[in-house]
Amino acid sequence: MIILSKLTDIFEYLAKRHRLLPWLLAYVLLLPLPFVLAGLFNEYLIDLVNRICLFILLAVGLNIVKGFCGQVTVGHIGLYAIGAVTSAVLSLEPGGFGGALGFGWPVWLAIPTAVLVTAFAGLIIGLPSVRLQGAYLALATLGLGESVRIFIAVTPALGSSTGLMMIPAPSVGSFTLDSFTSYYYIVMTAALFGIYFSFSILRSATGRAFQAIREDTTAAAVNGINVIKYKLLAFVFSAVYAGLAGALFAHMPPGYLHHNNFTVIEMVTLLLMVVLGGIGNVWGGVIGAIVVAIAYDQTKDLVFYFMDRPIVIQPLVFGLSMVLLVMFMPRGIGGWIEDFQRNRRFIRRSEERLNGSTRNT
Amino acid sequence: MALLETLNLSKSFGGLQAIDNVSLRVDENSVHGLIGPNGSGKSTFFNLLTGVYQPDIGSHISFNNIDITNKPAHYIASQGLARTFQLLRLYGELSVLENVLVGYHPHTKYGPLAPLIMGAEVRRQDKLVKEEMMDLLEFIGLAEHAEIPAAELSGGQRRLLALGRAIAMKPKMLLLDEPGAGLSPVNVDNLMATILTLKERYNLTIVVVEHILKVVMATCDTISVLDHGQKISEGSPTFVKNDPAVVEAYLGREMADEDIRAAMNS
Repeated sequence: MIILSKLTDIFEYLAKRHRLLPWLLAYVLLLPLPFVLAGLFNEYLIDLVNRICLFILLAVGLNIVKGFCGQVTVGHIGLYAIGAVTSAVLSLEPGGFGGALGFGWPVWLAIPTAVLVTAFAGLIIGLPSVRLQGAYLALATLGLGESVRIFIAVTPALGSSTGLMMIPAPSVGSFTLDSFTSYYYIVMTAALFGIYFSFSILRSATGRAFQAIREDTTAAAVNGINVIKYKLLAFVFSAVYAGLAGALFAHMPPGYLHHNNFTVIEMVTLLLMVVLGGIGNVWGGVIGAIVVAIAYDQTKDLVFYFMDRPIVIQPLVFGLSMVLLVMFMPRGIGGWIEDFQRNRRFIRRSEERLNGSTRNT
Repeated sequence: MALLETLNLSKSFGGLQAIDNVSLRVDENSVHGLIGPNGSGKSTFFNLLTGVYQPDIGSHISFNNIDITNKPAHYIASQGLARTFQLLRLYGELSVLENVLVGYHPHTKYGPLAPLIMGAEVRRQDKLVKEEMMDLLEFIGLAEHAEIPAAELSGGQRRLLALGRAIAMKPKMLLLDEPGAGLSPVNVDNLMATILTLKERYNLTIVVVEHILKVVMATCDTISVLDHGQKISEGSPTFVKNDPAVVEAYLGREMADEDIRAAMNS
């Protein structure tokens, strides 16, 4: 706790000097991570970190629509799929393997196009939110999200059951970013920018409008907030995050996509990240993404044998932990963070008051 | 000059005629009272004016010479018509300052995408607005609680915040839905004094729904009386107080009770 407090002190001091300094420090500290991991453990861990970065993007994006704006969406993974497949298909060479579509676009053009396409898809997934709320909205978005996956699964042009293979990696000049380590710098930068922009939104009139809609939609409308516009905007913002995460996932080594990457189980995992992180708290979502992604990775091959029959228990564990979390830790890790920040504010204010009174005497 | 005018305003929920052909004029810079027994349609009337409900066909509402019939709530709000709610509807998890900042929303000078592309300008604007809103909080006496969540305020402070959030919209007209509900008589007097100072300071026209007749009689220039969705009387406080129709609809039962009590005592 004391270490955490000191660390917060350092970051707050830097933030006072210049707003971007803490972000710069975080970036610099994260630069040597793949070499540390490769040195201490193995290459595989870098791949895990890369996937964690993508999950952070997804969780932070989902947090905008679900946490800030209070719209329960379960179709987020469908947007992720749209981003991934769009970017893959655009960048694949024409006449590729297994009848897959290909346009042969440069990767750096395919990614932003995929993000735009996903943003538009986010607008469509958000449309039910104009009329529906809560569980009904969740059902509608679940249907839309899952239909994306099924569409991919039955369309040979988009990979169908074999998946899309040999998706090209991005390159800078003549250097191709096709190793875990080189790709780390792309996804890590994207994740940091994602977190930063999420804060920019939260701390503006846009973020306050989202939160007002979450807290009381009628009051928000009467306060002059165009509820429909801002709801859809929240969906589009989160879709941009999902689209970027998806596109980066497509080009990540080994450059292979399969519709199994976009199942309801993935969606539950993503929801678990946001719920564990504490709905509406950005850093909570980031920590949730890290914890759940590691847990997911470690329990993936967890198989029990019952009367010599293998039983994969991971989906059960994740579903059950979601129920327990909502029951016993409804505010998630974000609740702890908020308590921590409030205590600090309280202590600082009492100190100021104490100092003020001694100066007066 | 009439700032707000309704013509044949009606609203029915299924078979229930909640508001029945109400025509009403509210003059600029006046304090207009709206009274009536429970269920007489006062809150529904406010909901119709602010676009929370859509009125029946044939109704007409104009505000500041603009037709606002069937316009969405956020548009009406941006024209300068603010309101408070009977049950306050504060943004509980947002801080006191953030609550009034949301009220300021219609006057925000940057678009919703600006935070992503011109962060510095957004922060500069927000800083100015925050200072302005802190002045407002100072004025209503909530400045020292600016950072705490609205849900943690006391009942009286919440009523003040609801008022502050409406004032932050810089409205021309303020609709107050039972501002004194649940307050002790002393607190109600203080609140009404605050409301009148705010009226002078921000040059407001006020329509107030209130059950505490003493307050309404003392502060309003004109009073309209609703009963079963119909306007049954209108005029100065003295006129309304002595109007037989009002006495029958509103005070009638109380008077009758007194008659019975008097009869039993004799």
